[in-house]
Amino acid sequence: MTAAVRARGLVKHYGGLTAVAGVDFDVQAGECFGFLGPNGAGKTTTMKMIYGLAAIEGGDLTVLGLDARTRRREVKSRIGVVPQEQNLDRELSVRENLEVQANYHGLRRDGRIDELLEFSLLARRGDAKTQELSGGMRRRLLIARALVNRPELVVLDEPTTGLDPQARLAVWDLLERLRSEGVTLIVTTHYMEEAHRICDRLVIMDEGRIVAQGTPGELLERYDEENLEGVFLQVAGHALRE
Amino acid sequence: MTTYLPNPRIAVRVWRRDLWVFSHVWMKGLLPQFLDPIFYLLAMGFGLGTYLASVEGIAYEQFIGPGLIASAVMWAASFETTWNIYFRMEENRLYDSVLSTPVEVPDLALGEVMWAATRSLVYGTTFLVIVTLFGLVESPWALLIPPFLALGGACFGTLGLAFTSSISSVDLYSFYYTLFITPLFLFSGIFYPLDRLPEWVSVVAWFTPLYHLVEITRGLALDPDAAVVAGHALWLAVLTALVFLIPVHALRRRLVA
Repeated sequence: MTAAVRARGLVKHYGGLTAVAGVDFDVQAGECFGFLGPNGAGKTTTMKMIYGLAAIEGGDLTVLGLDARTRRREVKSRIGVVPQEQNLDRELSVRENLEVQANYHGLRRDGRIDELLEFSLLARRGDAKTQELSGGMRRRLLIARALVNRPELVVLDEPTTGLDPQARLAVWDLLERLRSEGVTLIVTTHYMEEAHRICDRLVIMDEGRIVAQGTPGELLERYDEENLEGVFLQVAGHALRE
Repeated sequence: MTTYLPNPRIAVRVWRRDLWVFSHVWMKGLLPQFLDPIFYLLAMGFGLGTYLASVEGIAYEQFIGPGLIASAVMWAASFETTWNIYFRMEENRLYDSVLSTPVEVPDLALGEVMWAATRSLVYGTTFLVIVTLFGLVESPWALLIPPFLALGGACFGTLGLAFTSSISSVDLYSFYYTLFITPLFLFSGIFYPLDRLPEWVSVVAWFTPLYHLVEITRGLALDPDAAVVAGHALWLAVLTALVFLIPVHALRRRLVA
């Protein structure tokens, strides 16, 4: 299998703060790869380096076979991004948010927008303003927006944080459908149960480093735990103990 | 990858989004900004003007009309690139999502400047039509005014974007307007010729963009000298190109550092 993302020695500081302290990982094409870790562990910064919103300070990063430093525009045209923040265009309707995304990608309008409205269960809310949507709907719209350019890789930064259980199930369902279509997914989360359910492989980050990695099953075995929560507490629990 | 050169084909995509939003709200947005210079024209031109015989041999309202076209451009481009862009960038975090597409920072900056220029063109041209209906335009060369309004709008849009991309708090706009925009409005030769003021005022005015735009609009509306108009336009174009580096640099630090 080819690697969708290959990171070697990634480093990033913000001022005097070390956000990412030299991480290595490989995401295989077609898998769902998880980043777990407490707040401030460096997950979001790592994601931002992948999708071009944070400059790569040290190390090497290859996304879809392209150098993420020098071929950023090309990388961004082939991936989808679901950010942590709700940055939908508040001055446009639901449908227009998807249309304007196609515009940024330089794509012609085709049936893709209708298809995505159906996919994200928003077909009947196409004319609504984004502020009129519930939290779960907005998250589904963010996911739909990330798919406008038919990406090979989608990066999702905490896609279910702040959602009620039902809305979370709806998001998981969308992600499972994407994976079944062969789209590579990278997901950050601090819900262990979520990671266990949707990720093929995952890494646990803490203080800018990767402190454990493997499939959920491997991690449970290696740390002799019954659930990922226990693994997490073993490798990154100092924050709770301190 | 730290180029300051935008890709115009991609910048147009950013411009198109703004046009799209404007097409929904233009009635709300257009009317007030447009009434503003009309009130000035009525109050100053037809009110105060009746007490003044003429300025430099032309009726007072005829003197200030073309200048107010220039100021309409300044206000339109400034509002767009201060409050509106701050809202998009900080409140809506819209640029984070735009920059996650093939759009890069220089494209984003150029697209927003192009939009400020477009908006200025719409406001300024509408005001030009009004001034013409009042019978304040003499020269057929006034037909050439609109492209220069777009240039002026690009210049003030770039200045506004440079300020917006460099500030950390929305409160700082009061400085921009009180210490920059309003003085330009009052001291750029819209309401009276600058040669009556101390010499240094004219010197300072020469360094400000509104002065040059006023000279262009008044020149074309009344009795143009092509070389003079071209000189002022060149001044505006050079300033715009130089200042453009500031928002590109500042937005990069702010959004993709």
